[in-house]
Amino acid sequence: MPDIRTLLILIPALPLAASLTTALLGPRLLRTRSHLPAVAAIALSFLASVLLVFQVQRAIDQPAAPAAEHRAGQGRAAQPIGFERVYTLWSWAQVDQAMPWPDQNAADTYQPASWGNFRIDIALRVDPLTAAMLVIVTCISTLVAVYSIGYMHDDPGYWRFFSYISLFVFSMTMLVASSNFVLLYVFWELVGLCSYLLIGFWFEKPAAAAAGKKAFLVNRIGDFGFALGVFLLWTTYGTLDFHDTWIHFHHTWIQTSIGVLGQTRLAHPEMFASGGLATAIALLLMLGACGKSAQFPLHVWLPDAMEGPTPVSALIHAATMVTAGVYMVARCMPLFAASQTALVVVGTLGGITALLGAITAITQTDLKRILAYSTISHLGYMFVGLSVGTLAGVVAGMFHLMTHAFFKSLLFLGAGSVMHAMGGVIDTRQFGGLRRRMPITHWTFLIGCLAMAGVFPFAGFWSKDAILLALHQRASLGGGAAVYQGLYLSVMLGVVLLAVYTFRAFFLTFYGPERIPPEAGHHAHESPITMTGPLMLLACGAFGLGAYFEWTHGFEHFLAATPSLAYLGQRAAEPAGEAGAHWGVAVLSTVMVVIGLAIAAVLYLGSREQARRLARLMNVFGLYSLSYGKFFFDEIYQALIIAPLVGLARLCAWFDQWLIDGLVDAGGALPKWLGGGFRPAQNGLVQFYALAMVLGLLVLMGALVF
Amino acid sequence: MPYEVALLNNYLLVGAALFGIGLVGFVSRRNLIVMFLSAEMMLQGVSLSLVAWGRFHNDFGGQLLVLFIIAVAACEAAVALAMITMLFRRSGKLDAAHWQTLREANQPRFHEEPLPEEFGDQPLPWPRLTPAGIQPDVPREKIDYRPKV
Repeated sequence: MPDIRTLLILIPALPLAASLTTALLGPRLLRTRSHLPAVAAIALSFLASVLLVFQVQRAIDQPAAPAAEHRAGQGRAAQPIGFERVYTLWSWAQVDQAMPWPDQNAADTYQPASWGNFRIDIALRVDPLTAAMLVIVTCISTLVAVYSIGYMHDDPGYWRFFSYISLFVFSMTMLVASSNFVLLYVFWELVGLCSYLLIGFWFEKPAAAAAGKKAFLVNRIGDFGFALGVFLLWTTYGTLDFHDTWIHFHHTWIQTSIGVLGQTRLAHPEMFASGGLATAIALLLMLGACGKSAQFPLHVWLPDAMEGPTPVSALIHAATMVTAGVYMVARCMPLFAASQTALVVVGTLGGITALLGAITAITQTDLKRILAYSTISHLGYMFVGLSVGTLAGVVAGMFHLMTHAFFKSLLFLGAGSVMHAMGGVIDTRQFGGLRRRMPITHWTFLIGCLAMAGVFPFAGFWSKDAILLALHQRASLGGGAAVYQGLYLSVMLGVVLLAVYTFRAFFLTFYGPERIPPEAGHHAHESPITMTGPLMLLACGAFGLGAYFEWTHGFEHFLAATPSLAYLGQRAAEPAGEAGAHWGVAVLSTVMVVIGLAIAAVLYLGSREQARRLARLMNVFGLYSLSYGKFFFDEIYQALIIAPLVGLARLCAWFDQWLIDGLVDAGGALPKWLGGGFRPAQNGLVQFYALAMVLGLLVLMGALVF
Repeated sequence: MPYEVALLNNYLLVGAALFGIGLVGFVSRRNLIVMFLSAEMMLQGVSLSLVAWGRFHNDFGGQLLVLFIIAVAACEAAVALAMITMLFRRSGKLDAAHWQTLREANQPRFHEEPLPEEFGDQPLPWPRLTPAGIQPDVPREKIDYRPKV
């Protein structure tokens, strides 16, 4: 069995190699076989990730590891917190003494030797959080890549698609495995680039090109905040590594730097920044997460991103890339936990987004848009879970991330299957009653819907329940209890909406009289095995994963060994989970789901007259238009931000054209005017030139003589 | 040696006269062939001075150089006449003022002043030479296009 280091390098290296191979050989040599390198590499990456999880689990179970790997034991931290391994491959950049030691902290005796040495190590880390993310990412990627073989066949950009997908898997695995904020930022941007490239995959379509641009620009705002957060971390902590670094010197280990999330700092929580500084760092990082994970102020790009191919929507814009923000916040949880304000803001944003997404999803008619808004809403749930700030809350958030990855990619791929059969039509008003024509898609979609709505015992039930329970427990403690009580109630309300819009989409697509749009042609049949196979595998995951991890507590125990999460567990005693509260929450949420399901069934299963009547009734207060118009965020941003910016740009253009250019032209006009005086001398008459030469000669001779 | 100097002076004066006549001819005449002849005359004036100076210094270098000048002038004459022939074929004119394309862009073309009144519409008289030999039998229409010289 290969060791952890080899596995950790192989996981990103294989997709990178596949991406380069496909990019170089795809257009001429591989053509319709372009999927081979990508699928093989991503599948091998998945295998390596699974092996890595087993290796990590084994290492956690056997604490008596070689001394060199437990150096922290000889430092200040007597007992290492959690499990982590860091492998520094090479140093990318190093500037010694890039920043002086701030005087006001001079009393701090913990100053390590390398404080202020700016260095970017290509350092890969593995801890349970990373390992879990790696498995989720590569597993979904493998299934989506296989699905794409069927979905993307005959596309002229076949090789391009698989090259981008492999590049994305490389970037995403590096993002979760990097142990440095700079590397994290680099791969954060790289997944953003892959997202841009894949949204605009059919760039001939103006809507797709515009959507790619919008996603990129909206993400810039978030990334700007993220970059500022990283700068602030650097000036505060004097390093950007997650981990501590040690050197072996004269038979002893000497600590050379204290990582931002390193063992030393985790053992000494007073070394974390506190107060306003902690809040600023956490909120700036959260701004980055808002952009990437489509949270409330910056969520507008995700629905438009559905212009990309459906496998891309499933992989990047539902299961993996958009969860990078959740991962980042979970990874930096000690920084967030240092500021209660930041946690409350994270929770509030998550709660607003969850409700906003759910309300918007109820009235959308585009199947993929419904799923996109539901993704936004579910990401909101994850942030709400993280905002609890306890181990249970973060684990709940990550648990939801995992189950969501399965059921949401299942739903997206199901929607893709429908779209494939309907000849590219995805508007639910144009088709319906497809359950007989597409039985496999129908059943797998049903499992996905049950999982997403959180019906017992499907996966979504357990993860949503974990978040609700964590919120409920947090609300019983002091310190912003009212906020968490509010979040608890809003998530409970969201559960009803969730069930309604999920089953609305399901009933609209698969029930009612059979309608097939003319675009479908001869395609209106069940999709090939390369597409239904992944659907069935994902359906197994969406059905069983939640229950499996809930009963074995495997996910929870595994993640609890992550240093930055284990720190949370040490920091605050977890509120004792009473079995009564647990049952109460579970029963209440199930009741909510049943209510939602009933509403959806009444409105959409039979004749849809009631639904139309309800819509008209709601529209008396403008509610229906508000939801259908997506709360008019695009219009508001257009009026408040884009229009003034365009005005400013116009002003600048005018200034440039008339003032700056005018000055430059004036500089050129003077010699032109002077030269104009001599122009008549060039009259083209040979004899005139000869005469001028003679005169010149005379002048010269006169000068010589006199 | 006053004799030698006097001899040199004579040669230099003749050379300068040749050069001066050539210069005036080159600047004042517009017929390409006459201009070319004038240029040759200037060249020969300079050559003559060179020979004289060579003789004065008792150095044959000057005379040698002049032999080269004559050879080069012969080639130049061939080339120049060929070019003049080409120009003539193109426009039927030997007037140097006819070709003004060397002028600066957007400059107005040079136009001849109209002839003074006393010449009227009469064509300029051809120079009258003492007839010698037989006049070539050129049909009138063939020489009609020849411009005024």
